[in-house]
Amino acid sequence: INSKKECQVDLEFTTEHYNPEEGEERLGKCSAQVFFKNEKPRPTINVTCMRFMEKSKRQQEDYLLYKHMKQLKDPLDVISIPDSHGHIDPSLRPIWDLAFLGSSYVMWEKTTQFLHYYMAQLSSVKQWKTDEDAIDFDYTVLLHEFSTQEIIPCRIHLVWHPSKPLKVKYHCQGPQAPEEASGIEGSAAAPTMGLTNY
Amino acid sequence: MKPLLGTLYLLGMLVPGGLGYDRSQAQHRQEVVDKTATPWSSLETYPYNRYHPMGEIYQWMSLIREKYPEVVTQHFLGMTYETRPMYYLKISQPSNNPKKIIWMDCGIHAREWIAPAFCQWFVREILQNYQDNSRIRRLLKNLDFYVLPVLNIDGYIYTWTTDRLWRKSRSSHNNGTCFGTDLNRNFNVSWCSIGASKNCSDSTFCGTEPVSEPETKAVSSFIESKKEDILCFLTIHSYGQLILMPYGYTRNKPSNYKELIQVGQKAANALKAKHGTNYRVGSSIDILYATSGSSRDWARDIGIPFSYTFELRDNGTHGFVLPEAQIQATCEETMAAVLSILDDVYEKYGYSNSAGKVTSTTMVLSLLMSFRSLF
Repeated sequence: INSKKECQVDLEFTTEHYNPEEGEERLGKCSAQVFFKNEKPRPTINVTCMRFMEKSKRQQEDYLLYKHMKQLKDPLDVISIPDSHGHIDPSLRPIWDLAFLGSSYVMWEKTTQFLHYYMAQLSSVKQWKTDEDAIDFDYTVLLHEFSTQEIIPCRIHLVWHPSKPLKVKYHCQGPQAPEEASGIEGSAAAPTMGLTNY
Repeated sequence: MKPLLGTLYLLGMLVPGGLGYDRSQAQHRQEVVDKTATPWSSLETYPYNRYHPMGEIYQWMSLIREKYPEVVTQHFLGMTYETRPMYYLKISQPSNNPKKIIWMDCGIHAREWIAPAFCQWFVREILQNYQDNSRIRRLLKNLDFYVLPVLNIDGYIYTWTTDRLWRKSRSSHNNGTCFGTDLNRNFNVSWCSIGASKNCSDSTFCGTEPVSEPETKAVSSFIESKKEDILCFLTIHSYGQLILMPYGYTRNKPSNYKELIQVGQKAANALKAKHGTNYRVGSSIDILYATSGSSRDWARDIGIPFSYTFELRDNGTHGFVLPEAQIQATCEETMAAVLSILDDVYEKYGYSNSAGKVTSTTMVLSLLMSFRSLF
């Protein structure tokens, strides 16, 4: 591999339940190959995992999350999750989880071998209802890029229904040219995974 | 001297807010006024497992020096851009022998709140335990600790009043259109050569020239004046869970690199033993990214042998906005790491010899005594 133009990273990792309970053992053992080419974003990812949660259990958990979200006060208008002191109200935690998932798609779209992102904070959240009864979220996430130390605000519009893949539309600001794109989580090389297995 | 400092402090707090342009300035003033009514009654009830605004940290410093006057003194280092006083605490056991210095600063980057929290924790731990903990007592026999709890005071306050994720100082550039210098790119070591920006809107803006910022000047001049006696320079940041050694500006290694790695690795092991947290150890350019003008590199290059940057919890899940619930564990494990480094520094400078000297003197005295008794 030409190290200037291409870069492959091999990973081994285990996954766990996103909100693990006491003593719960780690779930799947995974290995992945992440392939960066020509310093371009959207690396190709090949992931294989063993010993995941049963599909029916995954679906059950997804549906529970969906129900919880549906029950939240409508319209939802929240500022800053977590707050400045790092607190997330337990009732708002699923919002952060869902936002994290949507942001991970955006981050993947922007990540190169030199640019790494983390979700620093959710800075505003609005929830809307759609006709098909999906969870519809409009939020601003502040992404932290490590090598430049910049904070990049991205507006993300996320639509989710447990039986369908996540739909993500976004628009990021910043010193670089603002980018706008949309996509469907799970349609890339990574296999579709249940929310709780993220 | 004291009343003057007090006036300066008040001016420093009120003047920037007193110009009162917009909502955030007014909010700032209100914040300052609110916070000066202490929510806690004394040092005994000061919550080390919570984040504190700058007003409370200033008060905490006063309370500390009032409670431990035999070992603690508070010293003025310089003024920030927005004319606030920078103070460090000197912890020193009075004695006849000359001491070497350990320097620790926290909060050079405004949003890294866990760092000032650790500096306060460190001071508390030393002071609460120096009398009955033999390890700490031993260190204080020959070492003085100089702790700067918040280096970038203006920036820190800004993260409380306006923008939680602000990093730089609050100096004004380009006719007030652009704010802040990355203080950790402003030191005079390979200044702005790599990993820093000449654009004042960027987060890694290196300043208008080396040591252009008053905060950098204050720290540099002081360290420079004491450099012969400083054994160890520690600068505390977040996040990333790393113990970094020089350099960031070059792949060349400092002359004592092997030793730095050894000491660093031992510290990371001590840290992990506390709560299982994994830290990586290495030179900044190898395991993080290239940077120039950092305080750690500058300290090493003026001759301070042990110079480390700590990047505390976490690994990106919460990043800068680390939950208060994690302050205690983070501080406990970091304390273990820092004490490990201090033990190694102490050993290296041959302080165990003083025990030998005492034994031989005693022997001679007892011999003399026994001779006397013969006559």
